[in-house]
Amino acid sequence: MAESPVDVLLKGSSGQSTRGLLKVIILVTIAAAAVSSRLFSVIRFESIIHEFDPWFNFRATKYLVQNGFYDFWDWFDDRTWHPLGRVTGGTLYPGLMVTSGVIYHILRFLTIPVDIRNICVLLAPGFSGLTALAMYLLTNEMSSSPSAGLLAAAFMGITPGYISRSVAGSYDNEAIAIFLLVFTFFLWIKAVKIGSIMWGALTALFYGYMVSAWGGYVFITNLIPLHIFVLLCMGRYSSRLYISYTTWYALGTLASMQIPFVGFLPIRNSDHMSALGVFGLLQLVAFADFVRGFIPGKQFQRLLTASIILTAGLAFVGLVVLTMSGVIAPWSGRFYSLWDTGYAKIHIPIIASVSEHQPTAWPSFFFDLNFLIWLFPAGVYMCFRDLKDEHVFVIIYSVLASYFAGVMVRLMLTLTPIVCVAAALVLSYILDTYLKISSGPVTRGRSNEDASEGLRSARTPEVGITSYFSKAATTSSIIVYLLLFVAHCTWVTSNAYSSPSVVLASRMPDGSQFIIDDYREAYYWLRQNTPANAKIMSWWDYGYQIGGMADRPTLVDNNTWNNTHIATVGKAMSSREEVSYPILRQHDVDYVLVVFGGLLGYSGDDINKFLWMVRIAEGIWPDEVKERDFFTARGEYRVDDQATPTMRNSLMYKMSYHNYNKLFPTGQATDRVRGTKLPAESPQLSTLEEAFTSENWIIRIYKVKDLDNFGRDHSNAVAFDKGNKRKKATKKKGARLLRSE
Amino acid sequence: MMLLQPLFYSVTFQCIESLQWAFKRLLYGLSTKMKLFTLIPSVLYLFSVAFAASPNVDKFERYQSISRLAPLQLDDSSYDDLIAKPRDYYAAVILTAMEARFGCALCRDFQPEFDLIARSWNKGNKPDDLKLLFGTLDFTNGKNTFQKLMLQTAPVLLVFPPTVGPYAKVDDSPLRFDFSGPISADQVYAWINRHLPDGPKPPLVRPINYMRIISGVTILMGAVTLFTVLSPYVLPIVRNRNLWAAFSLIAILLFTSGHMFNHIRKVPYVVGDGKGGISYFAGGFSNQFGMETQVIAAIYAVLSFSAIALAMKVPRIADNKSQQVAVVIWGVVLLGTYSFLLSVFRVKNGGYPFFLPPF
Repeated sequence: MAESPVDVLLKGSSGQSTRGLLKVIILVTIAAAAVSSRLFSVIRFESIIHEFDPWFNFRATKYLVQNGFYDFWDWFDDRTWHPLGRVTGGTLYPGLMVTSGVIYHILRFLTIPVDIRNICVLLAPGFSGLTALAMYLLTNEMSSSPSAGLLAAAFMGITPGYISRSVAGSYDNEAIAIFLLVFTFFLWIKAVKIGSIMWGALTALFYGYMVSAWGGYVFITNLIPLHIFVLLCMGRYSSRLYISYTTWYALGTLASMQIPFVGFLPIRNSDHMSALGVFGLLQLVAFADFVRGFIPGKQFQRLLTASIILTAGLAFVGLVVLTMSGVIAPWSGRFYSLWDTGYAKIHIPIIASVSEHQPTAWPSFFFDLNFLIWLFPAGVYMCFRDLKDEHVFVIIYSVLASYFAGVMVRLMLTLTPIVCVAAALVLSYILDTYLKISSGPVTRGRSNEDASEGLRSARTPEVGITSYFSKAATTSSIIVYLLLFVAHCTWVTSNAYSSPSVVLASRMPDGSQFIIDDYREAYYWLRQNTPANAKIMSWWDYGYQIGGMADRPTLVDNNTWNNTHIATVGKAMSSREEVSYPILRQHDVDYVLVVFGGLLGYSGDDINKFLWMVRIAEGIWPDEVKERDFFTARGEYRVDDQATPTMRNSLMYKMSYHNYNKLFPTGQATDRVRGTKLPAESPQLSTLEEAFTSENWIIRIYKVKDLDNFGRDHSNAVAFDKGNKRKKATKKKGARLLRSE
Repeated sequence: MMLLQPLFYSVTFQCIESLQWAFKRLLYGLSTKMKLFTLIPSVLYLFSVAFAASPNVDKFERYQSISRLAPLQLDDSSYDDLIAKPRDYYAAVILTAMEARFGCALCRDFQPEFDLIARSWNKGNKPDDLKLLFGTLDFTNGKNTFQKLMLQTAPVLLVFPPTVGPYAKVDDSPLRFDFSGPISADQVYAWINRHLPDGPKPPLVRPINYMRIISGVTILMGAVTLFTVLSPYVLPIVRNRNLWAAFSLIAILLFTSGHMFNHIRKVPYVVGDGKGGISYFAGGFSNQFGMETQVIAAIYAVLSFSAIALAMKVPRIADNKSQQVAVVIWGVVLLGTYSFLLSVFRVKNGGYPFFLPPF
């Protein structure tokens, strides 16, 4: 056979280096695609931090960069949770901030002057490139085909399920945590395969980094023991398992305990007990395995097995007793609510109220994963073909993560990596089969074709695809699906995931873009027009933004560590002014901020969140705030003439609709979110006065009035100013009636 | 005289109890069950009227001794008597409809919980002067009361504060607890406690279900024995790779097609479209019906199976002709189903621009 130039390039030792070069080029291209597809928001809007939590991370990073690491570690923040404050350094996952801080200092060392904000904005896209690389490594461990890893990396780079939490500006823990998750799993698989202490220690190292970065580390803490446990049940104990697991557990637990927020949780909390339990079990199994070699006779062996089972049972009972007696804390609320899905709604409304904790409807799966979602089961099926140790891992991960993703929208993020792995496995298998030009079976790196053990569909020997038509048709249709996937991802990223949500964009009737910048307008108003120590009360969603953009102390924020404090704010918002005013005074509140979308039809406003405020307040003061009172007799939640008196007298309602009718001709005021006409009369506020309303009325700020100079209560003072004192007087006091006449 | 009285009455009431017991026996022998339940309360009522005449009678102790540990079974007249002023005790009465024909699942679910509260309270240690009676008024025995209170729903829990005595409230109107869904004894007990004066109160004690523990252990041991005996036959099944593959795939398909959403939100299976037909797909991106998810799971299953067939089955077909036919069939099935999936997704998400030819 004559050697063509292509053969020279692709075969032999020069072929290997060509392939290596090609792989590097492809991976770099994938990383570039991953980074650039996340830049929509920067190009469309500007380099800005998005949403809510990132604003806190940004603020914390600035603090770290300005004050150094040790100050950051001991940071007590008195500008949040007024008057309680927050031990911020001990109650956060510092991984993200420290990472950006290190990058900042390295760049400074290289004399590249760069604003810390730009590092924060671009950290997530940068790490997504690394995630694609980690994905390549992980998938390569699963398959003998080199194309599987590259496909998985490409999928991971652009799938919307991951982009949703990692666009530029989305400076959140997940930005680096997904990379760490995938990379830790890669190291773990490597450790299990080789059984080396080095890889186990590396797993522990990156596990420690992961713990410092995201609360989702519990997923790894439970998945790895489960992997080992299933392997033990399958009778696959080997010294590789023992070495890798014990190394990981010992070092990883020590590493995780270095984070102040985690502290002694790994030995005191039920979330971590499976890891400890499997550690103990593994010791027993290893002991049995060791002793078995020295013991003759069947009876002894049986005795040994029985005693091992007994010890394991006793240890399990011991764990249960310790949990019952309270030495080991029960499951943490967030994690527990994954299993008992009704739990959060009844006991922790604050967790249930967050939109990303809602269950996932099927369109979200398809929206975030497109055709990967139906390749996913096929890929899992492929794993049953070989069923090596690493394939068991993929199967466990798949089932568990799809359950979690079904229960909580945000956990789609942990499902995405394994979907990419599984889909790449099956797609690379198909492509390898159908892209081979010469007929005959594809030579795969598998030695034992054990027909009785394997899957039903893999029993007959493979002969390969014979006709060119079949090859061409299948390949081209798969290319079409792939192109569709790319188009889908681009469309979804551009339309759904690239809005900073601090700045909103909408289209004018003529198609031009209309930027709604009310949030920043209002926060800058606060920054410029209020004293630096003015306390701002708002619902907790906006706490981080006020802290970050307006730099003013807040009562509650997105950290939600103190449910009672949040309920206090909820009570103030949902009660009558006479009840709310003392609460505001007691908490030194100077300004109250509400978000109102009625004019623009912006549905994420406070009136729509109002019922959660009521529910959370009801959890603490069930006698004073009642959810039922906010519904009409027919059980409707209304804001118009039919609204219940409790609703219309609540502070939130009054602040939202105060003077709103003046924008409209008499009697024409409409709320575009609820789609209803409003009462002709504007609600009367007596203890607050309007301080600022943004351009599109999205943010309204009210100043809390000081006590009245004459010692009157505020409703009387307002009535006097309006000149309708007489009406009041006739009702109440006869003596004054005489004087006014 | 004053000292003697309680003793005296307690003796009398034991008599009444035995009388009541005798009555029950008698009636059970003579009459139908129905009559028994209507008669007993009226007998009680006779006695209560008789004793109400004398002002020194302690109504609380009387009811207490009737009820023992469980809540009182009330009817219209005894209900009126129980809540009649003056009363020196708290009274927690649940108005319920237990009979099957009312179809009140909540009532039947909650009744054992309410009994549990009453039992815990009556058994536990409490301050001597804090008096609380529990009663149950079933709709069958208390139609008039339901009418008087204009109750449309059941169950409703009313707590009547005392009008005389150390804990008397000025406002003696009853506190009302509305049930909005399944609820546990702990929540209701917490609610009742909130409206009682401060101080130590007996904790809610759930009786340990020994029967359940014993049966659980027995079943476990039985299962272990069965497994050991049958292991030669069971093990091949447990170790069957195809079985595990099927389980995993079914689980994954269930979860990714939104089954957990149905489970948590309790969505309807299908909904009529108002024209006599059925609408299979719910409008809106974050909304779905039970049947819709099954359709989607089936679509995913078909797509996955086509992919598996193309990857694993087709390359193993030795005959050229049939291999080509198989490729074409699976390819067309894949394309058609995927196209259908995209068209369904366009229904759910109005602005979605992508489609594939057939649909």
